[in-house]
Amino acid sequence: MTAMPNIIPPVHPDRLAIYVWKLLRLRWILFISSFRRSKTRQKVGSAVLVFMMLGLMVGAFIVSWLLLGFLNSPKLTRILGDSTPFLEAVPTMVLFAAFGGILITSFGVLLQALYLANDMEFLLSAPVPIRAVFIAKMLQAVLPNLGLTLLFGLPVLFGLGVSQHYIWVYFPAVILMLVSLALTAAALASLMVMGIVRIFPARRVAEVLAFIGAILSFVCGQSGQVFRFQANNDQTVGVFNSLSKINPPWFPLAWFGNSLVDLGLGNWITGVGGFLFVTSLAGIIVAFSLTTAERLYYTGWATAQISVRKKKKQPSSPKRNAVKNPVLGWIEQLIPAPVRAIAVKDFLVLSRDLRNLSQLITPLIFGVLYTFILLRDSGEAATSKSGAQINVLITYGNTGIALFVGWMLLMRLALIAFSQEGKNYWLLKVAPLNPQRLLTAKFLVAFLPSTGLGWTFLLVTGLLRHSNLFFTVYGLIVITLSFAGMSGVLLAFGVNGANLEWTDPRQMIRGNSGCFGSLAGMIYIVLSAGLFYGPLVIGQALDLPTFAGGIAGLLLGGVFSLVCAYIPLQLVFHRVEHLGEG
Amino acid sequence: MISATALIEARNLTKRYGDKAAVDNVSFRVDGGEIFGFLGPNGAGKTTTIKMIVGLLQPTSGAVTVCGYDVQIQPVQAKASNGYVPDTPNLYPKLSGRELLRFVGDLYQMDRKQIDYRITELLNLFDLSQAGDDTIDSYSHGMQQKTALAAALMHDPKVLVLDEPTVGLDPRSARMIKDILRQMADRGAAIFLSTHILEIAERMCDRIGIINRGQLVAVGTMVELRAIGNKNVPSSSTDTASETSLEDIFLGLTGGADYAEITEVLG
Repeated sequence: MTAMPNIIPPVHPDRLAIYVWKLLRLRWILFISSFRRSKTRQKVGSAVLVFMMLGLMVGAFIVSWLLLGFLNSPKLTRILGDSTPFLEAVPTMVLFAAFGGILITSFGVLLQALYLANDMEFLLSAPVPIRAVFIAKMLQAVLPNLGLTLLFGLPVLFGLGVSQHYIWVYFPAVILMLVSLALTAAALASLMVMGIVRIFPARRVAEVLAFIGAILSFVCGQSGQVFRFQANNDQTVGVFNSLSKINPPWFPLAWFGNSLVDLGLGNWITGVGGFLFVTSLAGIIVAFSLTTAERLYYTGWATAQISVRKKKKQPSSPKRNAVKNPVLGWIEQLIPAPVRAIAVKDFLVLSRDLRNLSQLITPLIFGVLYTFILLRDSGEAATSKSGAQINVLITYGNTGIALFVGWMLLMRLALIAFSQEGKNYWLLKVAPLNPQRLLTAKFLVAFLPSTGLGWTFLLVTGLLRHSNLFFTVYGLIVITLSFAGMSGVLLAFGVNGANLEWTDPRQMIRGNSGCFGSLAGMIYIVLSAGLFYGPLVIGQALDLPTFAGGIAGLLLGGVFSLVCAYIPLQLVFHRVEHLGEG
Repeated sequence: MISATALIEARNLTKRYGDKAAVDNVSFRVDGGEIFGFLGPNGAGKTTTIKMIVGLLQPTSGAVTVCGYDVQIQPVQAKASNGYVPDTPNLYPKLSGRELLRFVGDLYQMDRKQIDYRITELLNLFDLSQAGDDTIDSYSHGMQQKTALAAALMHDPKVLVLDEPTVGLDPRSARMIKDILRQMADRGAAIFLSTHILEIAERMCDRIGIINRGQLVAVGTMVELRAIGNKNVPSSSTDTASETSLEDIFLGLTGGADYAEITEVLG
């Protein structure tokens, strides 16, 4: 046997840039490869997206140029006062927004890239300096955020420069400033990540982060409904003055912004001096953060690999032979054990996974917000119409919002009812379960909480607003029947688009099923509400007894709802039988 | 062996993916009281066959019966007799081990008292009592594997199908699983297990089936396999025909012996 030639290449841990370049090149190759393999539709979509982004940049630049230039007009100066402090504060505002945005997003991205990515074990066991892995991962996290910052920040700052006739040095300085700030924010984010994962498990931090992010974004999105901003002069001047004060001399980001303005105005001593100072400061922060974070990285990563199980106190075993709740006994007789088991399992899993919980809490927040809005607005409306009419309208409104709030929850629960099983579906597949029982369990998981939420919303708002009792009871029946039908419709779409191989929860629904399901759900709820309430409204218009209109509505809407609860599920029955067979 | 009833019977089982036959016309039977080892190289069709036995895959043609019930025609009855341990134990990560076992017990419609008793028994047996109330996402791979096995044993199945059951287990747990399987077989259950560890197959299994490229190339006891193997094993691999190891037989039947030269170069 001849000696095998040495094929192991020499390792140069001191040549860091080579390894960083190799790792980034690998990422680039993966990106290009996945782009090449993507469908033509996706390629065209990506190209359109790039052009749209460029268009957005150009549009933002033109709008900023015109608007910021308009602030100098004498007419506006008469209303708003001197706009110079505001214009001088614009760079600080943009840099503040960019810095904050990158800091928050980089935290999540770095947490994922440094601790939760699947390639870490491979990279750390490869003959690659750990510093190179760290830097490459950080650059991967920063680059998309930097791109987004440039997309929104650059046009505004360039628009400011053109509108205020700043000298040419301002423009390259803006780019350098944004890059240095993006790196500073990312470096600080990496330090935060290293610190936090030493205290909490990385996966849990990611879950909590996603939960808080989802809740905050929803609350922010809905805040406009609560706080009514009316564009009168006083409020506009107030906002204008407040924004002008974002530039205090003690605020570090103001140093960055002010040095840009000074450079633009040609104040060389303060401009160049300030610019050199802030970029040096950014460099020091980056260097310190990176060195510290890198030191913490390996030990933090190693710690994250050790699963520490907290010893829980053994729960006292439930006394099963103790006095049995008659309602529970009745439920046990009515619902077979496997159906109950799946429903209980789903509720446990949904409530324990924060990724799910954020989506489930959204309708609750929505419900609370709209209860508040309804209560506030009904007081104002009561002055213009008669009491009885108002009461009926209020109850209709309550039911409408209850249907909407419950619908939001139902959409989430029904569409992913099967997909959420993911790779654990084999446990159900090998169990002696017929599709009927599986569908019943999933139906209950979607139907019960949504109906419970709808009922709670209607009863609480009904009590607070002294709604008409007949219409409230009618509303409860409508919610029950309507949600039964919608559960059937949405569950059928959920079965059709079930993806049991997902790793990212956003990919739970395959193809267009989610989109078509949402559309079908919307059409269903409108039709169902029309059938339930149409006869009631027509009866009232024709002065017929309310009770007769109610009976007709219940018959029409009820039959429609029950048909929708049954037929769609029968259509997907065969598919359920073969779900998960690849 | 107590029983000689066929608890698993595959007849002309075929699974095609397009033009490729992952499993091609495979027939075998596993009797009660028997441990049947299913061997084959990577991608030979072992997992596909197993998935058809437990009802996770529909065969393109042919049939499997479990305890006399056709898995496709009477799936609920067939599955009620089956216990299955997959190669990768994907278990609900947010359930505790105890909750998972209770869930499985309810799926098999076991009596509540029986479920409680069985959970305690299995958690003790697999040394999971302390971790029983922790969520599964905090378990190690070995603990998850043991939980999957406990779940498969919850309803004391007549047929137990295991896909690589000892992967990721420490020697003590692996030994315990082997003992459990032997005990179950002694009580009349049929055990069907796939493994790459030929030593396990040779020592534990009453009969062995070898699948290669979707086709069952040999079935029988070690003695019967030796007889088949002697025709295929190259003379250099063994000096005495009677001492032919399962490894030699396996490599002879699946073409692995051809790679001996490569191994020599790498060595």
